[in-house]
Amino acid sequence: MGLPLLGLLGILDAGRAIQAPPSIGGEWTLEVDPAAHCASPPGSILRQLAFNISQSGTQALVTLNDGHATTLEATVNGQTITCKSFVANIAGNQGRRTLEGTMSFDGCAPVAFRAVRQPSRKRGD
Amino acid sequence: MLNLFQLVLQIAVILVAARVVGFLFQKINQPQVMGEMVAGILLGPSLLGWVAPGISAALFPPASLSYLNALSQVGLVVFMFVVGLALNPSELHGYGHAAVLTSHVSIVAPFCLGGLTALYLYPRLSDDGVTFTGFALFMGAAMSITAFPVLARILTERGLVRSRMGTLAIACAAVDDVTGWCILAYIVVLVRVTHATRPAWVTIAGSLAYVLIMLFVVRRLLPAFERAFRKRDRLSDNLVAGIVVLVLTSALATEWLGIHLLFGAFLMGAIMPKTPEFTGYLLHKFESVTVVLLLPLFFAYTGLRTRIGVGGGGAIWFYSAIVIVVAITGKLGGSMFAARLAGMPWREAASLGILMNTRGLMELVILNIGLDIGVISPAMFSIMVLMALVTTFMTTPLLEWVYPPRLFRAPVDEIHKNVA
Repeated sequence: MGLPLLGLLGILDAGRAIQAPPSIGGEWTLEVDPAAHCASPPGSILRQLAFNISQSGTQALVTLNDGHATTLEATVNGQTITCKSFVANIAGNQGRRTLEGTMSFDGCAPVAFRAVRQPSRKRGD
Repeated sequence: MLNLFQLVLQIAVILVAARVVGFLFQKINQPQVMGEMVAGILLGPSLLGWVAPGISAALFPPASLSYLNALSQVGLVVFMFVVGLALNPSELHGYGHAAVLTSHVSIVAPFCLGGLTALYLYPRLSDDGVTFTGFALFMGAAMSITAFPVLARILTERGLVRSRMGTLAIACAAVDDVTGWCILAYIVVLVRVTHATRPAWVTIAGSLAYVLIMLFVVRRLLPAFERAFRKRDRLSDNLVAGIVVLVLTSALATEWLGIHLLFGAFLMGAIMPKTPEFTGYLLHKFESVTVVLLLPLFFAYTGLRTRIGVGGGGAIWFYSAIVIVVAITGKLGGSMFAARLAGMPWREAASLGILMNTRGLMELVILNIGLDIGVISPAMFSIMVLMALVTTFMTTPLLEWVYPPRLFRAPVDEIHKNVA
C-alpha cells in the first residue's frame, strides 16, 4: 500500500503546478454603457441583461436571460473569453471576478460592457 | 411555482421510457437497470433535446427540474439505505486472501490511475475554482467505485449469485462500496470546507462524533426492531415509519455536518441488524417504490444534466476514450491481476475483474454529488456518465464470453479450496 500512496502523493504534488483556466461559471449581471443605442435587442433590455455561464475548462456555454434562453458557445483562452456576441477580459480574483469587454448584437453598435459574477451557493453551501 | 400537471406528466413520461427501454435492454441480456439509465440519457439533451428541442423544452423546462430533483433525491436517500441494508460484512469472512487483496487492489489501482489522468484533464476540463487535489481525488474515487446493487442484479439475473464467483464479487464490491463512500465523504468535506464559512473543525469533529454515536449507540438500539419483527413476522406501520424517521435523521445529520445526505442514509442501512429474514423484509418494503418509481426519476434527472457529444467538438470524444480506457484498465485489470496473484485461475480472475468493473448506478450517484459541489464540470460529468454506461454495458457480454454458464456451476464451498 505504501508505494501507491507515495505515487498518489507525487501526483498531487505535481498537480499543484498545473494552471487551470480561470473560473467563470455561474450567474452574471451586466452593466452596459447607458449611452448605448441598439435597435435589437432594445437598449433597455440590454441594460437589464443577466446571463449564466456553464463552464467546462476552456469551453463554456453562455445562456442569456433574454426571455428566449439564447445559448452561445464560448471559448476561454488565457484571461480572455470569446463568443459570437462578445469578447471580454477576465479580471479579478475568485471571490470577485469580473468580465470587461465589448459586446455586439445584430442592429446594435459594439458596446463596452462590464459583468459581475454573483455569489455562488455551490461548493460551500 | 409548482406546476403539478407538468410534474405528473414528467413522471409518467419518465416511467414509460424507463420501462420500455429497460424491457428492450433485457431482450439483449442486459439488466433492466441498464436500460433505465439509458432511458434517462435519451430523455435529456443528448437525444430528445437534440432531435426535438421544442418538445424537450416544453416537457422539461429548466425551472421545473428542481421538483424532479427533489423527488429523485428522496428516492436516493431511501435507495442508499437499501444499499447499506444489503451490505453484510460477514459475507467477507471465509474468502480470505483473495477477497482482501482483490478489493484493495481494485480500489488502489483505478484510484491512482484516475489521479494520473487528472494531470492531463484538469487544465482542459476544470477551472481554478477547483483545486487540483479535489479534482484528482474525486477522479480517483469515481474511477474506483463498483456498483454493488447493479452487480447483485446482474448476478441474480444470470443465476450466478450463489456461485463461487458471484459471492466473491459481491464481497469485494461491498468492501469497495464502503471504502469508496468513505473516500468520497472525505473529498466532499475537503471541497466544502475550502469554500464554506463553517470552521473545518466543526465538520471533522462532528463527523467523528456522528460515526461514533451511530456505531456505539444507535446500532445497539436497532435490534429492538428485529425483535419486534420476530414476534409477528412483520413490522407495524408505526415501526416502519420509525425506521424511515431514523434514516431521515441520519441523512439530515450528515447533510448538516457538510458531508452529504446520502452518507447518513447509507450508514443507517449498514448498521441495521443483518439477519436474512429481517433484511429481506425491509428490502421488500422499501425497494419496490424506490426501484420502480423514484430511481427512474433520478436517472432522468441525471440524463437531463448529461450532454454526451454536445459541445466541445472532437476533443470531448478523445477525453471520453481516455477516461474509459483508464477506468477499465484500473478496475478490470487491477482486480484481475490481484485475483490471479491470490491464486485464482486466469478465467475466474478475469471474470472477477469484469464484474468489479460494473459501475452503473453508484457511479451516477457519485457523479451527481461531484457536479452539485462543483468539483467536476458539466463536460467532465457527461464523460464520466458515458464511462459508467460503457463499463456497465460491457459486463454481461464480456462475462458471457469469458465465463459461460456451463463453467459456473461449481458450488460456493469450492472457493475456499481454490483461493484460501
